[in-house]
Amino acid sequence: MRTPRRIAVGYDGSPDSEAALRWAASLSAALRATLRVVHAVGLLEHARLAPLAAHEERARALAAEEGMGDARVEWCVFDGDPGSVLRRAAEGEDGAELLVVGTRGAGAHPGSLLGSTSLGLAERAQVPVVVVPVP
Amino acid sequence: MLILAGPVGAHEHDGGSHPERPARVGAVLQGIADLHLGSDLLTVDAPPATRNDLLAVHDAQYLDELEAFSRRGGGELDPDTYVTGTSWDAALRAAGAGLAAVEVLRARGEGVAFVAVRPPGHHAERGRGMGFCLLNNVAVTAAALASSGARVVVVDWDVHHGNGTQEIFWDEPDVLYVSTHQWPLYPGTGRPEEVGGVDAIGATLNVPVPPGATGDVLRQAMDDVIAPAVESFRPDWVLVSCGYDAHRADPLAELALSSADFAALARGAAALAPSPGRLVLFLEGGYDLQAIRRSTAATLGALVGDAAQPEEPTFGGPGSEAVRTAGRDRKRAIDEAWDRVLGAGSLDAPVTRRRSTY
Repeated sequence: MRTPRRIAVGYDGSPDSEAALRWAASLSAALRATLRVVHAVGLLEHARLAPLAAHEERARALAAEEGMGDARVEWCVFDGDPGSVLRRAAEGEDGAELLVVGTRGAGAHPGSLLGSTSLGLAERAQVPVVVVPVP
Repeated sequence: MLILAGPVGAHEHDGGSHPERPARVGAVLQGIADLHLGSDLLTVDAPPATRNDLLAVHDAQYLDELEAFSRRGGGELDPDTYVTGTSWDAALRAAGAGLAAVEVLRARGEGVAFVAVRPPGHHAERGRGMGFCLLNNVAVTAAALASSGARVVVVDWDVHHGNGTQEIFWDEPDVLYVSTHQWPLYPGTGRPEEVGGVDAIGATLNVPVPPGATGDVLRQAMDDVIAPAVESFRPDWVLVSCGYDAHRADPLAELALSSADFAALARGAAALAPSPGRLVLFLEGGYDLQAIRRSTAATLGALVGDAAQPEEPTFGGPGSEAVRTAGRDRKRAIDEAWDRVLGAGSLDAPVTRRRSTY
């Protein structure tokens, strides 16, 4: 197996996504890989009916705490459902070779499939997927 | 004759200030009242879909968890999608309304049906609600028709791609899923290269168009890309995922259609039906109440003979080249998919699939 040079992590500001980002940033730093932080814009956020959080600033700060230099952190925002957006981040010649997600995103429910992005992603992604639990 | 199935959701499944709200159904009913149809309007009640109806398109575990979640009072399913204590019962009736409409159309052998329900459905996947949608209403009806041996086309002109309907019928050769939608936009699926699974190559057709696209661009998509594919498919039924959020007044997206453009799209969809009494439209999105009212009147007026249009058709927006590109990219993707399937054949596993022409 080839060492991943590009790692993508889903980030929505939830505690689970923060844990996933920290794990992905730590691995990226160790492997000298590029970290692609992906934020999916939903229906309400697109229409500015949900608050636009300062996600990028927070994500970059978390990555820096894990030893990632800012030059190797890419902030990517796409319209879409988190699962389809993360799959897209792994497509193409410069696509990510590893996807990282938290166990549960915003609005999801412990002990239930309701709202789960990670399970659908694990089923459909074309590259390895790491699901990171909250410590 | 207009068959109105429902209404469902005019009072229940209320998320407060959320844009997917009960008043949307009220706006639809006002649009229908504007047509003054009199005895040409027949309203049929929407019975709840049965467990078996739902299991044709949804996983049992998802149904169980959604029902339990609603019975407990609900909450957020994802950052866009809410569930309340009345959502499950409303969703069941929304999913059953299309079946009641088909039953009436079959008995009468003529007419057009409009399924005036919410919560909407086309984002709901087999195992997941999302994008304001809980149960996939149009898919429940399409699956029931397909199981009776019918060939079904689902035309989805909601401004968002119907990822749920596409996923549910990805490998179903007797259901042709067709979508026009703004790109890029939520949910991030719906590229022309998405043409269906190995058992249904070509039975998914996506025509994404850029923000600002006007009615002439959608009509071009209907005439040049969609109609030829549907004619080759030869459907027995035409179902429409009828969102009104491609209207220029809609707050959730950036297409630029007028109500008159929906009338033209409706006439295009009606022309795809093999005979009278085989067209059913399902309310999906649309979040500006005045646009919903005008567009409902224009759409249904075009189908039941009243051509009154309060707005002019729109022209001149971007997207004509995108439509042409979508047609080319789709054809290439279909050819590549068939090459992969036929190339995978061997003496031990002879290829028996026949290359489709749609």
